[in-house]
Amino acid sequence: AGPKRKIKARKAAKLPSIERRNWLIHSHFIRKEFDGCKSLIQEQLVETNGQCEYAIYIQALMLRSDGEIQQSLELFQACHQINPKNPDNMKQIAKNLILLGKHKSAIECYNHATDLGERDWEICHCLGVCYQFLKQLDQAEQCFLEALSKGKHTVTYSVLAKLYLEQQETKKAIDILQKGVDFAPENTDLLTSLGLLHLRNESFHRAFELLGQALTYDPENYKAILAAGSLMQKHGDFDVALTKYRVAAQRVPESSSLWNNIAMCFFGKKKNVAAISCLKRANYLSPFDWRILYNLSLLHLTMQQYASAFQFASTAIGLKSDHGPLYMLLAVGLANLGQDDNAEQAYLKAMELNSNDPHTLINYCVFLHNRGNSQKAANILGNFHKLSDDKSVSVEKELFEISKRLSAVLNVGEKIVVEKEKVEKHRKKKATKKTES
Amino acid sequence: MDPLFMALSYYKRRKFEDCVTTCTKILDKNPYDQAAWALKAKALTEQVYIDEVEADDQGIAEMVMDDTSVAQVSRPGTSLKAPTSAGVNQAVRPVSQSGRPVSGFVRPGTQSGRPGTMEQALRTPRTAHTARPVTSASGRFVRLGTASMLSNPGGPFINLSRLNYNKYAMRPNLAKVLFEYIFYHENDVRNALELAALASEHQQFKDWWWKVQLGKCYHRLGMFRDAERQYKSALKQQVMLDTVLLLGKVYQRLDQPLQSIETFKQGLEKFPNESSLLVATARIYDGMNDVENTTKWYKDVLESDGVNIEAIASIAANYFYSDQPEIAIRLYRRLMQMGVYNVELFNNLGLCCYYAQQYDMTLKCFERAIDLANDDELADVWYNIAHLALGIGDNTMAYQCLRLALSANNGHAEAYNNLAVLELQRGDFERAKALFRSAAELAPMSYEAHYNQATLAEAVGDLQSSYISALKATKAFPEHVDSKDLLKKLKQHFTNL
Repeated sequence: AGPKRKIKARKAAKLPSIERRNWLIHSHFIRKEFDGCKSLIQEQLVETNGQCEYAIYIQALMLRSDGEIQQSLELFQACHQINPKNPDNMKQIAKNLILLGKHKSAIECYNHATDLGERDWEICHCLGVCYQFLKQLDQAEQCFLEALSKGKHTVTYSVLAKLYLEQQETKKAIDILQKGVDFAPENTDLLTSLGLLHLRNESFHRAFELLGQALTYDPENYKAILAAGSLMQKHGDFDVALTKYRVAAQRVPESSSLWNNIAMCFFGKKKNVAAISCLKRANYLSPFDWRILYNLSLLHLTMQQYASAFQFASTAIGLKSDHGPLYMLLAVGLANLGQDDNAEQAYLKAMELNSNDPHTLINYCVFLHNRGNSQKAANILGNFHKLSDDKSVSVEKELFEISKRLSAVLNVGEKIVVEKEKVEKHRKKKATKKTES
Repeated sequence: MDPLFMALSYYKRRKFEDCVTTCTKILDKNPYDQAAWALKAKALTEQVYIDEVEADDQGIAEMVMDDTSVAQVSRPGTSLKAPTSAGVNQAVRPVSQSGRPVSGFVRPGTQSGRPGTMEQALRTPRTAHTARPVTSASGRFVRLGTASMLSNPGGPFINLSRLNYNKYAMRPNLAKVLFEYIFYHENDVRNALELAALASEHQQFKDWWWKVQLGKCYHRLGMFRDAERQYKSALKQQVMLDTVLLLGKVYQRLDQPLQSIETFKQGLEKFPNESSLLVATARIYDGMNDVENTTKWYKDVLESDGVNIEAIASIAANYFYSDQPEIAIRLYRRLMQMGVYNVELFNNLGLCCYYAQQYDMTLKCFERAIDLANDDELADVWYNIAHLALGIGDNTMAYQCLRLALSANNGHAEAYNNLAVLELQRGDFERAKALFRSAAELAPMSYEAHYNQATLAEAVGDLQSSYISALKATKAFPEHVDSKDLLKKLKQHFTNL
């Protein structure tokens, strides 16, 4: 018993280690038992006179997850003072600076952290984020690439893709997202973004594959649902698309894109009144979306309510003035309201903005023919034929038929009233309606 | 002609001023003419009479300091103080500054939510909780009393402190008149109570009328349980509509809406299809934010009483916010046919016409509304015209309209918010930020400004402010998907790495 007592006495005489309860603090923290953790930290700090680095560090982390960045920053600075050689503290300070929106100071801190320790992927990634905010895109790209070379993380892939998109380099963005998906095939965010990009590039098969994959992992991902639904709409599966949208409508009842797509489904099924009421709800929810207004105008044209059609088209033009088909809709409305001169102006503007749109050409031709200007109508029809010979532009069958009839009429000089073609052109328009991005 | 006959005739034709002067003349000749005295008292009372059932004014003190409700934390759906927001979509229907969805009809007793603390009550705009500016205690009654004295340059008609209530209580014909005079004209509830108690005792507690009056006095004094007892006892003697309504009101003050509804239902068994009971029930459902039941009861009102303005307006507002502006137009037009001619109606009609795409009527309605409006109302009209301008894609006009709205009413939170959105479109971030901030301060309970602030802050990278604003937005509108997504994203930023 004698030697044992000796050992005990010696232990009691020893000063308590500053870091002696770090393990406990850590285990509380990672279990998110923040209350217990806080009181423990308090005890530890009182015991050590505020010299326990790890306790302060964890306290700062907790404050940050509560959203109190400023206080968290001060604590990390205290950590840095206790232990100025720890690059981790510097990194956390920089991270907090990013969260506060002070990107320049954050860059300085990261550089400092690099001096203290090695340049790991986290530093590279965060530097990239800072540069991106400061609009130094080239440097940001380099940083992200360096980060990827040091360690692969899904966050880096998605921010890098966003960077490329900002620079309008879709191809690069697709490449980087593809790499990201190869690295983490179960990440629904990456899958959805890649799917959307493919959708925009009109490679529908791949897009469908990716979105389907995203939906198997997360069946309630409403972005993916919307995109997949619009793909189905494109191929005419309106009922299937509607069932998809029903799932999304429960999750996001006030999404204007969703209501827009639902409306166009109804339109495809010839339920025009239902379509209009959906579209109006969409427009109520987001009055600045020109696509919704475009669809509204289109629907009112098919319902032969030309005043409203004109109204919506002109509003849409107010929001987006460089879109040719909008002027065409406006012109069709105007022509039916008896404003031929204004309609002519609108057609000219539409032709000026987009002279390769077959719908515009055909409508303009019909309009000219109705006004008795057969000469010019024949010219326009010639343009249309030139266009339809070109393989790169896809022209629908209905338009061909109308053009055939037109050429027959123009040669013979017979009068016809072609009202129907307006109904035809909307099919094409549904392509414009994926408004997720 | 006999002056007393003339005075009576004036009274019957509701020419109270003339009646009072005639009576004064008679009383000058013969100060002991009790008929003239009673008639004058009645005429004076009628001039300032307000229906006690409708006069439900709660001052700040009553709202904050009063603890009459039994349950502090009630089950959802059983209290007026913590109405559930289910059934009302804030993304579609706007809320008042205190967070309740706007209703179709404003009445004196409208309480759109309650302030939590005294400080909060003093800080929020004066008309955010009731239809009238809030005072510290129910100020309306005090004010009426003084005003009536001013209208009598010769001093008060009856000096209350000199009256011997015992003497009057013995004579029921005089006592009732005197009581009404004291209660409605002088607003001296204590003296009225004394008289009522004596008179009731003298009638050996057999007159239900006195019991109801006692109940009214207790109600005004804030002794709701005593009032309840009196009303109940009166109902045992004689079931009257007024008593049922008053009893229901007591339960409302005690925060027992279900009991209140029950009372009204019992009343409906006695008086089938009585519209005032139906309306009262609908109002309680409205107070609990139960849109479905509110509409159902208001529809019942319209079945028995086809020209009830409150019911028509409430149903119309409901239709408008559930994507059916066409039906709302029909209801508002009915109001117009009934001869209602005011700003709100033209304003609503203009909005409905615009959203139902009847473009020919829209601007005319708004023009009328502008002609009729005073400053606060003018702000609302311009605000709506701004919506119209946005609808036709004319952002400059919308901008001007919103500025006009703000110049008419400096505290128009929605206008600040929309103006900020327009500023954002023009690319002026700093101004947009400032405007969003003022909107959020003016209307802390509507989510739009908070959410906009959050997105703006996130775009420039200030995630701390973004987080704070997003928290407020989700608090104001818990089901808002975009706010929730934003909050989730921010949380990820805070915890990752």
